[in-house]
Amino acid sequence: MSRARTRLARTVVHRVLVALLLVYLLAPFAWMLLYSLYPATALQTLTPDLDPSQIRLDSYAALLSDPSFLTPMANSAVVGLATTVLCMVLGSGCAYVIARYRFRGRSVLLLGMLTVQAVPVIVLAVPLFILLRAFGQYDTLLGLVITYTAFILPLVVWMMVGFFEELPPSLERAAVVDGCNRLQIMTRIAVPLAAPGLAAAAVLAFITAWSDFFLAKVLTITSATTLPVRTAAFQGLFAMDYTSAATAGVITAAPVLLLALVAQKWIIRGLVEGAVKG
Amino acid sequence: MTSTTTSTPPVASAPQEPRSTGAGARRRRLRDLRFALLMAAPALVVIVLLLGYPMGYALYVSGFDWNDKIPGDRPFVGLGNYVDLLGDGQVHRALGRTLLFAAVTVLGGVGMAVLLAVLLNVDFRGRTLARVLLLVPWAVPPVVNGIMWKLIFDGATGVVNAVGLGLGLFRERVQFLADPQLTMNVLIFAEMWKLLPFLTLLMLAGLQGIPANVYKAARIDGASPWQQFVRVTVPNLRGPILFALVVQTMWSLKVFDTIFVLTGGSGGPAEGTTTLSFLTYLVSFSNLDRGYGAAIAVASMVLVLAFALLWVLLLRDRHKEGVR
Repeated sequence: MSRARTRLARTVVHRVLVALLLVYLLAPFAWMLLYSLYPATALQTLTPDLDPSQIRLDSYAALLSDPSFLTPMANSAVVGLATTVLCMVLGSGCAYVIARYRFRGRSVLLLGMLTVQAVPVIVLAVPLFILLRAFGQYDTLLGLVITYTAFILPLVVWMMVGFFEELPPSLERAAVVDGCNRLQIMTRIAVPLAAPGLAAAAVLAFITAWSDFFLAKVLTITSATTLPVRTAAFQGLFAMDYTSAATAGVITAAPVLLLALVAQKWIIRGLVEGAVKG
Repeated sequence: MTSTTTSTPPVASAPQEPRSTGAGARRRRLRDLRFALLMAAPALVVIVLLLGYPMGYALYVSGFDWNDKIPGDRPFVGLGNYVDLLGDGQVHRALGRTLLFAAVTVLGGVGMAVLLAVLLNVDFRGRTLARVLLLVPWAVPPVVNGIMWKLIFDGATGVVNAVGLGLGLFRERVQFLADPQLTMNVLIFAEMWKLLPFLTLLMLAGLQGIPANVYKAARIDGASPWQQFVRVTVPNLRGPILFALVVQTMWSLKVFDTIFVLTGGSGGPAEGTTTLSFLTYLVSFSNLDRGYGAAIAVASMVLVLAFALLWVLLLRDRHKEGVR
C-alpha cells in the first residue's frame, strides 16, 4: 500500500513539475500576446482584467497598415526565403562532396565550419560594411542575403554532411552501375533520401536569417531594413509604447514560431539528434 | 565530435567501381574531381569571401591606431592595441561580466538541461507536446525575447512589480532595469529562458540513446535513483554534454541582441550589461575606434576558442565510451 502511495506521490510531483515547466516555457510569450491585445492598464495589476470584451486589435491594424512597418516585414520575408534557397542550393552540393569524398584537409574543413560559430559577428561588421559599400550593396536586400548566406552556410553544411553520411552508400553504388552520373546520383538519390534532414537545415537557415538583428542593423539603414530592426526601434531608452512593442514582437515572432511548430519533427530529429549523434 | 566514425562507408566514387584501369578510369576520376570542385566551390567561395576576408581585415585593422572620429593618419601600432587592452579597466570589467554571464548560462544551462531532460524522459501523456513546446523559446527571435522580458520586468509597469507589490513581497517598486546588478540578472534570466530548451532537447536525444537494460542492470545491483543518475545517466550523456558545452560557450560569449533591446542599446545601466561583445560594439560603433574595437573582438574570439578547446580536452577521453 505504502509502495503504491509513494509511486502516486512521485507521479503527482512529476506532473506538477512538468506543468510548471510548461507554464515557464509559454507564459512570457503569452504575456506579450496579452499585452498586444488588451489595454496596458488592464494588465499592470495583480489581478489582470482579461474580460474578452476588452480585446482590441487596433495595434495590429495600425502596424499592418503602416508602410514603415510593412516594408521591413516584406524585406524580412524576401531576405529569409532567398537566404534559405541559396543556403540549400550551395550547401547541399558542398555537404555532399564533403560527405562522400575523402581528401586531405577534410576534417579540418569540417571543424572549421563549426569553429566559424565562434566568430563574434561584431568582429566582421566593420569590414563587411566597407566591403558591401564598395560593391554598392550597402542597404540592399541582395547585400543582406549574401551576408546571411555566408554566415549560415557553415552550420548548414556541417549539419547536412551528417545527414548525407547517414545514408547507406549501397543505393548510390547501385546507381553508378545503372549509369547515373554524380550529379544525378546526388540530386535523384542522395538529396531525396536526406530530405528530412535537409528540411531541418532549411528551417534553421530561415529562422536564423529572419531573426538576425545585428547584421541588419549595421548593414542597412532605410530601404533594406528588416523586421527585427524595426521592432527593436519600438524600444526607446526611456519610454516605450508597450502595446505597439508587444504587437510588433508578436508579429515578428509569429512566422518563425509557426514554422518551428509545424516542422518540429524535422527540427528535433535533424537538428538535435543529428548533433548528438555527430 | 564532427564526424560519425562508424566504419567509413565505402565512397561511391571511382575507386570502388570494378577495377577498370587505363584511360577510362582516369577520365572518370577527372570527371569526379570536376564534379566535386563544381559542387563545393561556390559555397566555399562565399564563405571565404564574406567571412574569411573580413576576419583577416579585422585582424589587420586591429594593428592600427584607427579611429574614424579623428581625421588624419592611422599609424601602425603592431600589438599596441592588444597591450592597451591588457591594462584597460573597462575591458577587465567587461571580461568579468562576460565570464559571469557565460559561467551561469553555460554551466547552469547545461546542468538544468540535464535535469529537465530527465524530467521529460518519463513516459506520460503529453510528453510529445512538452517536447514540441520546448521549441517555443528556441524559435523566438532575440529581439522579441528582449521586448518580452522588458514588458515583464519594467520598473513602472512590469507584472513582476505588480505581483510583488500586490502580494507584499516588495516594499516598493523594484527598478529591475535601472540597477546594474539586477539588469544583469534579468539578462541572464532572459537568455536562460531562450537557451534552455535547445540544450534540453539535446540531452533528451542523448537519454534516448541509453539502452533501458543498463538501468535495469543498475537496479538489480541495488542502485538508488540518485546512483543511477550519477553512475549511468550522466556518464552516458558525455557526448551531448560536451557538444552542449562547446556550442553554448560560443553562443553565450556572443550574446548581443538581447542586451541591446533590454538596455535600449546602451549596455547599461552604468555599463552593467556591457559584456565583451557589447563593448566591442560600443567601441567600434559609438566611439568609432575601429582599431581598438577589432582588437577586443579578436581577443574575445581567442577566448571562445580557448574555452572550446578546454571543454574538448576535459571531456574527450571519456567521450569515446560515452554515446557511441
